[in-house]
Amino acid sequence: MPEPAIVAEELTYRYGDLLAVDHISFTVSPGEILGFLGPNGAGKSTTVKMLTGQLRPASGRALLLGIDVARHPKQVQARIGVCFEQPNLYEELSGVDNLRLFAKLFGVRDVDVNALLRRVGLDGRGADLVGRYSKGMKQRLMIARALVNRPDILFLDEPTEGLDPTSAEAIRRVILEEQQRGATIFLTTHDMYEADRLCNRVAFINSGKIVALDTPHNLKQQYGKRMVRAEVVGSDGKLFTREIILDRPETPAEIADLLAHHQVVTLHSEEATLEDIFIRLTGRGLA
Amino acid sequence: MSLRRILALLYREAVQGPKNFIFIFTIVVPLGLSLALGLIFGTFFSGKPRLGIVDPGASRLTQLAEAMPGLVVRRYASEAELRDATANGAVDVGLLVSADFDQRVLSGQSGSLTVYVWGESLLRDRVLIGTAIADWLRELAGHEPPVTIATTMLGANNELTWQQRLLPLLVLMTVVFGALMLPASSLVSEKQRRTLHALLVTPATRAEIYVAKGVLGVALSTVMALVVLALNGAWSSQIWLVLLVLFLGAVLSAEFGILLGVLVSDINSLFATVKGLGLLLYAPALIALFPMIPQWIAQFFPTFYMIDPVIAIVQRGATLPDIAGQLAVLGVMIVALAGALRVARER
Repeated sequence: MPEPAIVAEELTYRYGDLLAVDHISFTVSPGEILGFLGPNGAGKSTTVKMLTGQLRPASGRALLLGIDVARHPKQVQARIGVCFEQPNLYEELSGVDNLRLFAKLFGVRDVDVNALLRRVGLDGRGADLVGRYSKGMKQRLMIARALVNRPDILFLDEPTEGLDPTSAEAIRRVILEEQQRGATIFLTTHDMYEADRLCNRVAFINSGKIVALDTPHNLKQQYGKRMVRAEVVGSDGKLFTREIILDRPETPAEIADLLAHHQVVTLHSEEATLEDIFIRLTGRGLA
Repeated sequence: MSLRRILALLYREAVQGPKNFIFIFTIVVPLGLSLALGLIFGTFFSGKPRLGIVDPGASRLTQLAEAMPGLVVRRYASEAELRDATANGAVDVGLLVSADFDQRVLSGQSGSLTVYVWGESLLRDRVLIGTAIADWLRELAGHEPPVTIATTMLGANNELTWQQRLLPLLVLMTVVFGALMLPASSLVSEKQRRTLHALLVTPATRAEIYVAKGVLGVALSTVMALVVLALNGAWSSQIWLVLLVLFLGAVLSAEFGILLGVLVSDINSLFATVKGLGLLLYAPALIALFPMIPQWIAQFFPTFYMIDPVIAIVQRGATLPDIAGQLAVLGVMIVALAGALRVARER
């Protein structure tokens, strides 16, 4: 069994009296995409900062690629790529110069910045000053910057937030390409559709604790309620909705009764979303 | 520490630097103030007096003129060239010495000199050259001075001129503003724009980032301080010693600037802090402005150990042994601030 790419052991961090991250433990396998989901203030960013060597844990430890992050942050940082939620590019430099600067800092000599720009849909705009880029273009350039050293682990913080559907899809495609290349991806997102579609597993974090960690399918199986939702014509001729929960002993009889005795206009099966499950587990939404 | 990464970061600083108003201020303010002082005290356009000579007979007069340090002497081949040069203002005074001039004077005959004066030359320069010519003639003729003038300076005869007194302030402003504010503002700006976070998740260390920011400030302020000294007539023959002191002073200022950049969260707070610290930073120069204040008070301020050695060299001709103690204090402060920077964590 390969060594995990990321190991978090009892990671803890405090801001004064506030316990921001409370003894969380998890592992991420090489080539896996882990979605890290939680509302604002849940401890996501603090966890990412500890994993990327920006913060030193109050207790516990993080190992990336077998290296203790707190002890050897620069060794770890040489092998990871980080894409921040907020744009933090050099706006007075061009896109190409931004990428070249970071390539030099990583000691990468043979980087093809134009190929990188092409991958994120910025071909032809590399010579423009970043200050003239739209938010979506900056986000895409930040993804390109995070890839400049061909990282073994990629940390992406809300990479598609606020992007138009085309840009968001382009970034999702890059994420999947990186996974195919063998990179491990730690994805922080609010977008349940994105998490469901991209992530091999998702972790729900709330109040500094991981409340669930599994594949989206297993989480839905474990915590969600599958149901059938039908639009039915009532005796007064008006439409009403009827929901039948699946996976119960009485379900087949209820469905048979519905079809036999009612005029069904539409019939859909419905699965719980990850957000439904998060609300069920924590009593609060992800927003 | 990686030189390659420092150079990459320094290149970015240098590319962005000229767009930063502090960078522009570091260049413009010292130059502007130096020019203003030169104009106010009338020293800017008043170089050495210039004497043009046509001397077909190789007179000793010309040798004496060329040996005089405060005078620029230019030789011309003909009287026509001398007249043109004087008329065009290339020289303040043109002197035509006849071929047999020395011979006639030494034999007791009457010699003659033709003198052309540029109409726009300064009266001071005309008088100085005229007096010098009289002295050379007396020396050439072998005469003793007919009158001995005893000169006694009264009052504060060792007092510096206002321009000399303002020089410490000008140099200190140049070094402190450039070396302190450039790295400090750059660091604060990176914090505000969050680009520092992006740098810190690369192999680049904080030390490398700080060094890159400091180098630009140190280099620019050291060069500008030398320019200020030159513009204010304080260029020293011990320029390497001056350069060493200015460099160390700039390093101290840059360290302090980086420390401020680490501790301060936004650019407004940085300016407010520097404004608040202004008296502390500039106190030695302000004390030097007013000789009636006991000058030893200046020694309580850290920047004294940067500016006093410079002024000692350029105005009093001090040498390395004279300023070694002050340089040692400067060195100790540089090491102490480097230690403080290691301890300081970015907020």
